[in-house]
Amino acid sequence: MGGTDLAGRPGPMGGSGLLGRTGPVGRELGAGWRALPRRLAISALLLVLLSFAVFVGVDLLPGDPVTARLGATSGPERIAQVRAHLGLDRPVQARYGDWLAGLVRGDLGTSATGRPVGELLADRVGNSVLLAGLAWVLLVPCSLLLGVLAAWRRGRVVDRAISTGALLLVSVPEFAVTGGLVVLFAVTLRWLPAVSLVPAGTNPLLRPEMLVLPVLGLLLAGLAYATRVIRGAAVSAVDSPQVEFLRLSGVRGSVVLRRAVVPAVLPVAVQVWLITAVASVGGAVLVENIVGYPGIGQLLVSSVQTGDLPVVQALVLLLGAAMLLALVLADLAVVLLTPRLRTGAVR
Amino acid sequence: MRALSIRLGWVLFAAVLLLVLLGPELAPHSPSRPVGPPFAAPGAVGLLGTDHLGRDVLSRMLHGGRPLLLTSALAALVGSAVGALAGLFASLVAGSRRWAAALVLRPLDVLAAVPPILVLLLVLTALPDRTGLVLAVVLTGAPLTARVARAAADQVLGRGHLEAAIARGEGWGWLLGREVLPLVAGPLLADAVLRFVSAVYLAAAAGFLGLSGTDSDWGLLIVEALPGVSLQPWALLAPVLGIALLAVGTHFIADGAGRRARSVIA
Repeated sequence: MGGTDLAGRPGPMGGSGLLGRTGPVGRELGAGWRALPRRLAISALLLVLLSFAVFVGVDLLPGDPVTARLGATSGPERIAQVRAHLGLDRPVQARYGDWLAGLVRGDLGTSATGRPVGELLADRVGNSVLLAGLAWVLLVPCSLLLGVLAAWRRGRVVDRAISTGALLLVSVPEFAVTGGLVVLFAVTLRWLPAVSLVPAGTNPLLRPEMLVLPVLGLLLAGLAYATRVIRGAAVSAVDSPQVEFLRLSGVRGSVVLRRAVVPAVLPVAVQVWLITAVASVGGAVLVENIVGYPGIGQLLVSSVQTGDLPVVQALVLLLGAAMLLALVLADLAVVLLTPRLRTGAVR
Repeated sequence: MRALSIRLGWVLFAAVLLLVLLGPELAPHSPSRPVGPPFAAPGAVGLLGTDHLGRDVLSRMLHGGRPLLLTSALAALVGSAVGALAGLFASLVAGSRRWAAALVLRPLDVLAAVPPILVLLLVLTALPDRTGLVLAVVLTGAPLTARVARAAADQVLGRGHLEAAIARGEGWGWLLGREVLPLVAGPLLADAVLRFVSAVYLAAAAGFLGLSGTDSDWGLLIVEALPGVSLQPWALLAPVLGIALLAVGTHFIADGAGRRARSVIA
């Protein structure tokens, strides 16, 4: 998203995406290792705040999920009955306290469907991790290759093609991208199934053709953003005096790239990759729903639609925790990849 | 190349805008009444065929654009205004009252750390209608605008005319409106365009998830077209392209506006 975020990718969720919101690379990094405990503490605090917001926020908003879902036609007794069944008739502090206590014991509560939330999640988490993981494993080498290549060939046809493609793709929501892919690969070319209906309880890896479209949809959205940022970092590296010196000294291009350009780009690239992992949380929710892939995104949306609060709360907290972990890892990676920060040398 | 992409962005955006605003008047059929068999191919019934209930896809497209666009524009505007106020306030008081700036900015930072789609789903859990959608977009956009506004205002702070106005004892309204706002308007405008792109994204996502509260939102058209995609790919392709054109056009404009704003500030 042109350095900002859309949709959460520094952008929509999102540009899409939903990132870019983490501020300039290297912020608060001056202290190197010493900043780490503070970052962890801040992240833990954020998580507590998020869990509180999930509870109190939903409570404070003027709407009432139960009334909204049941509709105006149900009588007040029916609404009160459902509220009591969900435990919504008790004060919010009491519910929050119980929920936190349960969380510490590893109990996520009971869904409105009567099943324990933990059990509902267990079936799905693996599927989503597989989907997002595959997209991410492909994203890392592709974005590095495309970003560095575009910078190395700046202004040439290759760069124009990569940059324009990334700019076009970066602003289109991943569910629209995936919709386009479905039309292209499932309808026009007939290579792949249009829906990824993996039977419950079976491993999606047994039906790899079901994974192609969701992984590709998720990959393309993140790739556009990551490539743009990496190209930017690589352009400064290519323009640096060191690289100019190496090239004037007659060092081969491939060696210059490997020894000087890529190492200079890595600290930025690692941050972008981890941020993209965070952004793909939002993307995965949408992409899973478009192809009917049985992951947590699909569960989250159906729970929002039915007002199943315990499931929504557990999922938001789980996704929030994953996201904060990725952001801490991103900061850690920058310290590890920047010698001055690693050794604590002050200049 | 750059000027071309901005011009292309404006043309795209203007074309989509015109279609969307005039859409309901141009639509040949009602968006809710069947006009032919379900999932009929384009040509036989309408230019873009029919959907799962036999309704005309073109008419639904033309009717669905306006709510998507108006909701996104309203949400982006409110989010930008709230964020800009918070950012400018924080910047102006940061020198004298650090705690006041922190009081405004910390909660926004927390909000900025949550992926927008989670904010959207949370708010829509409690408020499953258009109000919830606008609120969600404001909540996700305001923190980012506040950052932009604060960074832009920080660069203006030390300037003589502002110091002079403060020394004269001008009030907050004068300082913000007359001394700071004109200088930071460029970056704020560029940011508002980006907020609009994000708003379109979230509004379409809400429609796609069946949570937007309208009947023919483009996001909703996508999800309705999915089951019949092999019979009638146009019902899916049309809303996908509509959202893509709107997003890409606006994004080109924001890209150009951002560049121009940066060169002014620098």
